[in-house]
Amino acid sequence: MKKTWSCLCTTAFIASLLTGCNNQPEADEKIHIEFFQNKPEAVATFDHLIEKFEKQHPNIDIQQNNVPDAETVLRTRLVKEDVPDILAIGGNATYGDIAEEGLFYDFSKDSAIKRVIPDYINMLNLLGRTNKEDNGIPFATNANMVLYNKDKFKELGLQVPKTWDELINVSKRIQKQGELPFYFTYKDAWTAMVSFNALAGNLQGDNFIQDRSANKTTFTERYKETSEKMLTLLDYGHKDNFGRDYNAGNRAFANGDSVMYIQGSWAMSAIKSINPNIKLGSFPLPASNDPSQNKLVSGVDTALTMSKDTPHKKEALMFIHFLLEKENSEYYIKEQNSFSAVKNVLQNEEALKELNPYFEQQKITSFPDHYFPASMQAANLVQDFLIKGEVKPFLSKLDSEWNKVKARE
Amino acid sequence: MVKQSKVYYWMALPAFLVFFIFHTVPVFQGMMYSFTNYKGYGDFNFVGLKNYINLFQDQRILASYGFTFKFAIVSTLLVNIISLAIAMGLNAKIKFRNTLRAVFFVPNILSVLIVGFIFNYLFAFFIPQIAEKLGITSLTQNILGNPDLAWVGIVIVAVWQAVAFNTILYLAGLQTIPTELYEAASLDGAGKWKSFIHITFPLIASFFTINMVLAMKNFLMVFDHIIAMTNGGPGQSTEAISVLIYKGGFSGGEFAYQAANSVIYFILIVVISVLQIKFLQKREVDM
Repeated sequence: MKKTWSCLCTTAFIASLLTGCNNQPEADEKIHIEFFQNKPEAVATFDHLIEKFEKQHPNIDIQQNNVPDAETVLRTRLVKEDVPDILAIGGNATYGDIAEEGLFYDFSKDSAIKRVIPDYINMLNLLGRTNKEDNGIPFATNANMVLYNKDKFKELGLQVPKTWDELINVSKRIQKQGELPFYFTYKDAWTAMVSFNALAGNLQGDNFIQDRSANKTTFTERYKETSEKMLTLLDYGHKDNFGRDYNAGNRAFANGDSVMYIQGSWAMSAIKSINPNIKLGSFPLPASNDPSQNKLVSGVDTALTMSKDTPHKKEALMFIHFLLEKENSEYYIKEQNSFSAVKNVLQNEEALKELNPYFEQQKITSFPDHYFPASMQAANLVQDFLIKGEVKPFLSKLDSEWNKVKARE
Repeated sequence: MVKQSKVYYWMALPAFLVFFIFHTVPVFQGMMYSFTNYKGYGDFNFVGLKNYINLFQDQRILASYGFTFKFAIVSTLLVNIISLAIAMGLNAKIKFRNTLRAVFFVPNILSVLIVGFIFNYLFAFFIPQIAEKLGITSLTQNILGNPDLAWVGIVIVAVWQAVAFNTILYLAGLQTIPTELYEAASLDGAGKWKSFIHITFPLIASFFTINMVLAMKNFLMVFDHIIAMTNGGPGQSTEAISVLIYKGGFSGGEFAYQAANSVIYFILIVVISVLQIKFLQKREVDM
């Protein structure tokens, strides 16, 4: 008797476990589509756009999914071969790795591809692609820049610098008048990559990544100037450059503790939420002394793509096309302080307007570190270099880490 | 009797199955992946021992082992010394004993991430400000931003939090000692120190063993503290093994390579725990 009872209990328990996993959602007429995106600050913006889309298409239900550390989560989900229907992710090495595996849809015959600036499509394709396919559509883009406090510039009688020497002169004058030129936040290693990319994007020369991959050149050969200029900039920071993080930096710059702040377009909303009255301006970090050669470092902040095997191909494409409509793209970049990859959609925000000529003249170059292998973790190497301040060992370290990672592949 | 023991089997079986499916199987899967070039998704091939050979030539991996051991040994010793001292104090006849016991237990119920963020703030703003007022120039900068000192900051936070739990275990141990022993000892003329060395410590030896093993194992697996405070930086100076496995394996896309690293890591923790138990238990018997 006892035995049968315990048997029953156990089987009931196991059965409940198994059914727990197999719970099928009840069928209803709506088509559910998962929309996986990586930006926590864009949740509300996308919610608004999704609502608009669902009003036009009442039979489709788009479920936005945003998780912290989205790239890592995405990679873990791929372990289970579980690709979300639609994805909006950054155009970086993670995107490239997944595209290379052939898990994304091929947009090359889709009309959406013609609506966006070709430079950005090339940036995505350089990261990785399957058999010459176009696996992603650039949607929103970002840029590295120097944000500056317009009131302080006026007060100190300064002009926006167009060359490297002018930038250093401006910094010297700020220092002389007892103010702080730059607020560095190098406790967060990634923030060092902002200035690193802004300099290297302009100074590394043509085809660096291709040549480095083919072992035709080295970091030691092409990155000396970038590294030296990184160290020069440190002279114009505060006294605890490695002790302050990104949030502290946003707060300090917003409250007027420094005159300039090297960051990306993504920091704008944070700064404005701390001090809504701040008058901001922006210019590209002038890497060289030839103004015509100085380009804006800009990358694909959000690339739209979808799973190759989604059961709702038609509906997913409809949503992607919807997002690329001028009005919706304009709404998105306005809310997010980013730039649009869609042709003829410009940013009208006062602080970012100054960068528009660079987009119109296509004086744009990509983020170099997006093409470094992810496991090199360049950010920590750069942070370490800035603390130690030795150029040569740093450059050979970059080369040896690159070789090591490539050898492991 | 025979019938009853079968009932116990049925009670243990579901737990065993769940444990086997969700714990043991993934462990073996991970070991299998360590012999492949799997990225975490897509196709893969078996590459034999390549991952393991690369592992031993990777300075970054070796440095992470160095850091983790330095951190674990220092923290284990500190935690055991401090928590034993606190437990002795809380076991004595003092005022507000129960309130104090509750207060000392609080760090254990706080999440490591929250504690980490609070200390982050203290290290970045509070301590430098005080140091500046007092004129201690070496502390006017955030120690988490200094590659030589960042590990000290992490030790402080880890120890601060871990002491709570180990104190409870020591307290439980101290309460098992009959007070008559101390009375007898004091009649024989033993002072506080002598009765600690000859009565207290030998009688809580088994608690000492378990505390040493648990603390060492926990500190070898340190992860949350580092993610909350330095994320492995500055540079790579506080990259613990588990942080490196997470960063390299997931964000870095070297799943198989870091799977090999975790196999080595797993073996190492098992070996150390077994050695510790063997060594410390032998001591228990000797005393």
